[in-house]
Amino acid sequence: MSKVSLKVLTDEDVRRIHEASMKLLEEVGIEVEYEPAVRILQEAGLKADGRRVFFDPAYVQKKVAEAPHDFTLYARDPRHNVHIGGDDVAFVPGYGAPFMIEAGGTRRLATWDDYLNLLKMAHACEEMDLSGGMLVEPNDLDDHTRYLDVLYAHIRYSTKVPMGSSYGASGARDTVELLAPVFGGKEMLQEKPVVISLINTISPLKLDVRQTGALMEYARWKQAVVIAALVMAGSTGPATLAGVLAVQNAEVLAGITLAQTVNPGTPVVYGSASSITDMRTGCVSIANAESALLNAATAQLARFYGVPCRAGGGLTDSKAVDGQAGYESCLMLMSPIASGVNFILHTAGILQYWLCMSYEKFVMDAEIAGMLRRYKRSIDVNDNSLALDVIKHVGPGGHFLTQMHTKQNHKTEMRKPMLSDRQSFEGWAKDRLTTEARATVLWKKLLDSYQDPGLDERLQKQLQTYVESRKKEIVK
Amino acid sequence: MILDELKAAVMDGDAEQVAVLCRKVLDEHLSPVEAVEQGLIKGIEEIGRLWTEGEMFLPDVMMGADALKVGLEILGAELSKAKAAAGDTDRRGRIVIGTVKGDIHDIGKNIVSAMMTAAGFDVFDIGYDQGVDVFVDKAEQVGAQIIAASALLTTTMDEQKELVEYLKSKGLRSKYKVIIGGGPTTQGWADGVGADGWAETANEAVALCHKLLD
Repeated sequence: MSKVSLKVLTDEDVRRIHEASMKLLEEVGIEVEYEPAVRILQEAGLKADGRRVFFDPAYVQKKVAEAPHDFTLYARDPRHNVHIGGDDVAFVPGYGAPFMIEAGGTRRLATWDDYLNLLKMAHACEEMDLSGGMLVEPNDLDDHTRYLDVLYAHIRYSTKVPMGSSYGASGARDTVELLAPVFGGKEMLQEKPVVISLINTISPLKLDVRQTGALMEYARWKQAVVIAALVMAGSTGPATLAGVLAVQNAEVLAGITLAQTVNPGTPVVYGSASSITDMRTGCVSIANAESALLNAATAQLARFYGVPCRAGGGLTDSKAVDGQAGYESCLMLMSPIASGVNFILHTAGILQYWLCMSYEKFVMDAEIAGMLRRYKRSIDVNDNSLALDVIKHVGPGGHFLTQMHTKQNHKTEMRKPMLSDRQSFEGWAKDRLTTEARATVLWKKLLDSYQDPGLDERLQKQLQTYVESRKKEIVK
Repeated sequence: MILDELKAAVMDGDAEQVAVLCRKVLDEHLSPVEAVEQGLIKGIEEIGRLWTEGEMFLPDVMMGADALKVGLEILGAELSKAKAAAGDTDRRGRIVIGTVKGDIHDIGKNIVSAMMTAAGFDVFDIGYDQGVDVFVDKAEQVGAQIIAASALLTTTMDEQKELVEYLKSKGLRSKYKVIIGGGPTTQGWADGVGADGWAETANEAVALCHKLLD
């Protein structure tokens, strides 16, 4: 157990939320819009009325217990393998935004060039553990086939673990087909998950055709999935946070139960993007005290069920890389880190409630992630770190700058910032660079530092051929 | 005083109370025109004013709009008769609104729909995951002036373009104002697909409708 462990619910609270969710699953049920999912759940003995599936609590608990406590995602370069669960945390870039916000505040549609830049930055950025999923929507590519270009690019330009398509069963199938040859065939995938995909429920209490189709397909190949609910307090869920958690929990457990019914042992992550509704405009607000509490509560619920957890992110409602973006993102990364979340999607780049990405915000969030990774490591207390010998040696009134102990320990003990300005006023005043201006310099440097890891040319051709043939079928 | 009670019931978002009062209006042969104009509408106007001032929130607006609709349904027949007798016709703008095919995200659309109702428009909400033909059939049926189409996904935005194309193919394009909205949409997208307007928020959507029907 990590030393840093924030709890916002008592054990009794967790038990009551669990019981409320069980009641919802059993008495209200979940509307499952994907026919094959209804069928397999009925075959497993669950009752259904049309598409409404009623989940027996005993069955849910049995199936959830079959999900692994933790697992490893295998990368093309084993140095980038990622352990998901336990005390570990994986930072993952922003996902799915259609817009880019440029330095200065201009908003425009994201393009394929932006995509490739962000992909290279994600690969080059030490703080990012995965290369991510749909980093931005490349609006200049055909929207029916862009997931294929995106997947190919992740395999081609990064050796970190990518996220897969949740564009229906066929999107999931294509993801598996593209990754299989890279890892020595589909049989190998059954042993080792090489991709993790985001499956969203529809709140309240629904599983839709596309996401559920993808979920079942990934489970079939034992590839990892994050099953996430986005309950908005006050609109897609009750205004009270306990009620939000009861709804979210029912949805996520239904998804986990389905995955384990298809293929027991499928690696799953208990996910939450739950947040609140701005009650004046109806807009979602994703960065606030309430959402931070929901993140921490989600970590506690996931631990209760013995599965890894996804929540939080470098989240903000701000439309610029400004003070609001900084303080909100830090809160929304701090809470999951302090509460033991294992997978933080949207760690870097997000502005305006998931709608926009920004290069400047990407590096600012990476800086926050770096600080929090250090924070999570906590304080080592041992003979060396207590440093009694050197304290005695220096004695009252001396200084430690010229001690070997200092020279040997400071680099591991104190993280060096990438972006924060720590100069004197005079030093800073020479250029008077704001965070955003420094971030522009830093992201360009990060992009420049990208080194192409390469990909076997025969494999490139094979994957390209697959992509082209699938595109023809889809566009037809 | 029943008019004050009607106004208060709308402001409370109490549809049941509105129904009781409206039935009383009919039972006691009170003026349906007065009940609507001096009661129900006063309530929704007051909600609109307080909302603008930041004193009321979405649940107030949406529940108020629902309560208003209940009242209008009960009084509808009598109201038309009374207006016809007075040589008056319903001049409120008519709007057909829905979420496009393939998209099941309807919260934003519901909010816009309620705000339009609260602003005094006659709103016909066709729900979510609706084909362009459903939008147009409904507009034809109710004699709408505006068709409003919402999309939250980049994969369903094309349906908004499809709507404009469909109207053209039926020779109905000039008959309706098409307005669009939703998370990934922009003014540029609206211009590109040939829509008559775009709004980012529910408030702006209401202002847009007023402008288009001016």
